[in-house]
Amino acid sequence: MSADGAPRKSRLRDWLADRIGLEELGNTIRAGQVPGGASLWHTLGSVAAGLFVLEALTGIFLATAYTPSVTGAWASVAYIQDQLTLGWFVRGLHSFGSSALIVIAGLHLLQVLLFGAYRRPRELNWMVGLLLFGVVAVFALSGYLLPWDQKGYWAKLVEATITGSAPVVGTSAQKFIQGGTTFGNTTLTRAYALHAMALPALLTGLLVFHIYLFRRHGYTPKWSLSTEDAAARAVPAWPDQAFRNAVVGLLVWGVVAVSVIARHGAPLESPADPTSSYLARPEWYALPLFQLRMFFEGPLEIVATMIIPGIVTALAFALPFLDRGATNRPHDRRRVLTAAGLGLLAVTVLGVTALAKDARNPVYAKARAEEKTRGELARRLALKGVPPDGNVFRNDPTFHAREIWDDRCAGCHGLAGAGGEKGPDLKDYNSRAWIRGFLINPNGALYMGPAKIEKGMTAVDGTPEEIDALVEYVYAETGAPDADAARAGRGRDLLSPKDCDTCHDMDGEGENDGPNLKGRGTAKWVAAVIADAGHPLLFGDRNKMPRQRNKLTADEIEEMTKFVLALKGK
Amino acid sequence: MAVEPPDQRRAFLKLMTAGLGAFTAALAIIPGFGFLCGPLGRRTGRGGGNPLRVAAERDIKANRPMRVTAVGPHEDAWLRMEKVTLGSAWLVRTTEDGPIRAFSTICPHLGCGVDFDESSGKFNCPCHTSAFDLDGRCLGGPSPRGLDELETHVEGRDVLVRYQRFRVGTSKREPIG
Repeated sequence: MSADGAPRKSRLRDWLADRIGLEELGNTIRAGQVPGGASLWHTLGSVAAGLFVLEALTGIFLATAYTPSVTGAWASVAYIQDQLTLGWFVRGLHSFGSSALIVIAGLHLLQVLLFGAYRRPRELNWMVGLLLFGVVAVFALSGYLLPWDQKGYWAKLVEATITGSAPVVGTSAQKFIQGGTTFGNTTLTRAYALHAMALPALLTGLLVFHIYLFRRHGYTPKWSLSTEDAAARAVPAWPDQAFRNAVVGLLVWGVVAVSVIARHGAPLESPADPTSSYLARPEWYALPLFQLRMFFEGPLEIVATMIIPGIVTALAFALPFLDRGATNRPHDRRRVLTAAGLGLLAVTVLGVTALAKDARNPVYAKARAEEKTRGELARRLALKGVPPDGNVFRNDPTFHAREIWDDRCAGCHGLAGAGGEKGPDLKDYNSRAWIRGFLINPNGALYMGPAKIEKGMTAVDGTPEEIDALVEYVYAETGAPDADAARAGRGRDLLSPKDCDTCHDMDGEGENDGPNLKGRGTAKWVAAVIADAGHPLLFGDRNKMPRQRNKLTADEIEEMTKFVLALKGK
Repeated sequence: MAVEPPDQRRAFLKLMTAGLGAFTAALAIIPGFGFLCGPLGRRTGRGGGNPLRVAAERDIKANRPMRVTAVGPHEDAWLRMEKVTLGSAWLVRTTEDGPIRAFSTICPHLGCGVDFDESSGKFNCPCHTSAFDLDGRCLGGPSPRGLDELETHVEGRDVLVRYQRFRVGTSKREPIG
């Protein structure tokens, strides 16, 4: 500290330098040279590290709004996605950024392979790099589960089951991953602790070691340059290489951000439903393994899930010691590069095959389309707030009706077109086909056949035109907007010649043996049947259907009416 | 570029690198900051609003305040609950058959729960010794205002209270949300 009038700034800098030594650290960092000159090849490692920082930042932001529980996980992610300020964007960056990280880290690995940068004295750093790649993979797999939506749940369930198939330790390993014998809360809390605490610490430690080893041994110049040539063309890493790193980093960031905006964030499917039969597929980076499994069935499955991946991993770790080439020239490392090339080709072919198969599969397309509709409905319903049991479909107005149906109606009425137990099957109720079926066979299995009602109606007999006209008349009475008025009129004129009017009045007032046909099938009529089908205007004394008037509220009867009317066309 | 001396070129490159790095970082951090600050302009909790039945009218005796809980629907971020305890209130009447008043149990000082002390006939806050009379007036202690009165009325045999929360620590009564 001199008092010779030095500016304050440099005094402060001296003071800090004395105590922290940042300047020396900075000098060390900047001192590196790039033998053979800066290149785009050398940007990949830095860009991968940069993407990890992006993942860490967005991950912290997301953690402020996420809850790892079976009932709350999906709800909180839907809240992030659809309600929080820029939530879709932050979550999208995190999700798409992880894909970019896998791509860039993979390219980095290939570049190291191509340049021979795994060779003496960099063997350890190659292994650390492989470990880092493994950690990134576990990051991706654990993060995939956290939203607890259909695809995360099912993909992870399959992975856990594969783990369970391992010899000797399988069952214990599966329980360890799941945090118990089944998938549940502890599966989520474990995945979350792993994803948000253990893995970041592990990856940071490995990355620091990776960079330290890299600094110790430096860049591996292109194979075509002799040591002297490379030294002659050396440039300082700062700023020559750093500038390229920054440009590529910004470009990759831009691609990630534009994809997020273009697709309005990462997908979120409907909440995990263990009772559904979901068509599980892993994320794109695991598709090659998924496809590999297809070739090994039954007890051989373990070949695809463990033995082949295990051998490839072991070979990768042993690579620096297996490669006996004289120089870094590809020519001298033909065997290694050919094997690696074939491996890459196999992975690509497997992945593309999996995609192509699904693209051609109509079952897959249908399942995806159904899930899309269900997912969109779930997210729309989640805007009202998710109930404490996590079942967002409770917000659906038809959910309650469905419960009442199961509780009070399903005991007698079928909904499958296969006949009810003790009453008409209501699938497609009030459609022309349903009405026609009733008229020509009122005591069939789908109609009054199984009902306890005192049978009376005789099957309608007539020419096809006459039947058509009668069907149209009944159809028009339901208030259907697409009814043909002229044909319905002809049907009405047939009521008397066909003896329908012996039992049925059609003025809305007459109380006869059969229901009065005026407005039959309208909302008002259906509500009246639900309330009390034994009303004299309806089925009267013949009725056996329990009266719901005092069991359901007026609102509930209205809900059930809507439910029944919505069965048409289903 | 080719004619520039390397030093000058590198100085420019350093500046560009730092600029690009800062730009990339800002692109990631600014949206994240927006995300974190979202709650400043958002209501995350929603509940109350409607009068809720809290007690039977005949159970409220003169000068014997009764603590009741308001149970009703509540929204908390992504969660929507039909029946949850929203908060509690003291029901007070000073004469038999007299009007019933309701006071929030939340002390307007720093939000502790106010107790009723039968021996002195006063409301006391256990945290910082604020005291209130049966009309909710502050008798002493650090509370900046009297107890917060809640809208209440009798419907048939039931006492209904419209539960609300107020900002604490201010002399002016200000509803939250």
